[in-house]
Amino acid sequence: MKAFEEQFTAWVDGQLAGEELAAFERELASRPDALAERAAAEKLRALLRRQPTAPSLSNPDFFSLQLLQRIEAGQPKAPRGPGRASSPWFWSLPRLAMAGAACLLVALVLFRATIPSSKPTPSGAPYFAQVIESWPADESLSATTLYTPEDNVTVLWIDGLDSVPAEYAIQ
Amino acid sequence: MNNAPDQSSKAAPSAAEDAIEGPPDLELVARAQAGDTQAFNVLVTRYRSRAFSMTYNMVRNEQDAWDLAQDGFLKAWKSIGRFRGQSSFYTWLYRILMNVSIDWLRKKQIEGGIEFDDQIGLRNIEPGAVTTPRGELQPAAKLSDQEIRIRIDAAIERLSVEHRTVIIMREIDGLEYSEIAGQVGCSIGTVMSRLFYARKKLQSMLRDVYESI
Repeated sequence: MKAFEEQFTAWVDGQLAGEELAAFERELASRPDALAERAAAEKLRALLRRQPTAPSLSNPDFFSLQLLQRIEAGQPKAPRGPGRASSPWFWSLPRLAMAGAACLLVALVLFRATIPSSKPTPSGAPYFAQVIESWPADESLSATTLYTPEDNVTVLWIDGLDSVPAEYAIQ
Repeated sequence: MNNAPDQSSKAAPSAAEDAIEGPPDLELVARAQAGDTQAFNVLVTRYRSRAFSMTYNMVRNEQDAWDLAQDGFLKAWKSIGRFRGQSSFYTWLYRILMNVSIDWLRKKQIEGGIEFDDQIGLRNIEPGAVTTPRGELQPAAKLSDQEIRIRIDAAIERLSVEHRTVIIMREIDGLEYSEIAGQVGCSIGTVMSRLFYARKKLQSMLRDVYESI
């Protein structure tokens, strides 16, 4: 024996026949709203079927292209929770923040490795100068630097020169 | 026996591309089973609009419907080797899409703490009563298509996953009770009972709409 709900649904959808239909319609005789109810169900169905509620697929070619790429990549799209729109952009906010922090760290390390410290040298000078290499024509010549903290002056000292050539003389 | 006949004869094509010519589905499926992605792409082109409409009808959101249609096709591709041709390709795809959508809705329901009100429009109604609830009845007024769409979307969104599923399958996609039962995995009696209550709820929410057009 079907429940009333099942029989009523079948009756609304025209799925009852023969003795089952007759018996149910006898039962409905005591329910004056039954015909109106069936008419309402038919109107609802007509509304749902007639009204094109689903919008058309926008950019269908992109849909296929994206799907094909996912298939060929052999991996599903990153899982996402329902209700959250997926972003086609790789750089989400957390990823941007992480990338920014990494860049800052690298810059700091490079700065520390390449820029001399401003701490005083063992000689006491905040800056120092040093002759690293020289190519003198006369091997008796040598160049050194000398720092005087009192005057805060660094002097380039060249040993072995008898006199400054005329073209280097200060005018 | 195939208890899920060809949906393609029922669901109205929503785009011209659904009528795309080319090899028959089964030939394309056989090629896809051999790893031919281009053959599968023809199937995608053939059914993408219908798949999108189907997922949209379930989730009522374009972006989510797009993603779910893609997920459905991707699942179909991954399991195409198990398709034996006992039903049409679209019937097989339809079941995948429906399962993907139902899983998504249930997950959303759990994660979002959403509780569908199964008593919408049914309060003070005896189980056996046939009188249409009169809740939310507004004076008849001509509604634009856009307004009608919004009202239908809102009403279907208020249905539980189970009620929404049977309403979409029966009233929009036109499936028989046995087909719905086969797709959903419940008895025919359960389908009919769910339809009864789902219709009641929709009637209570949309009566002024269908009475005004």
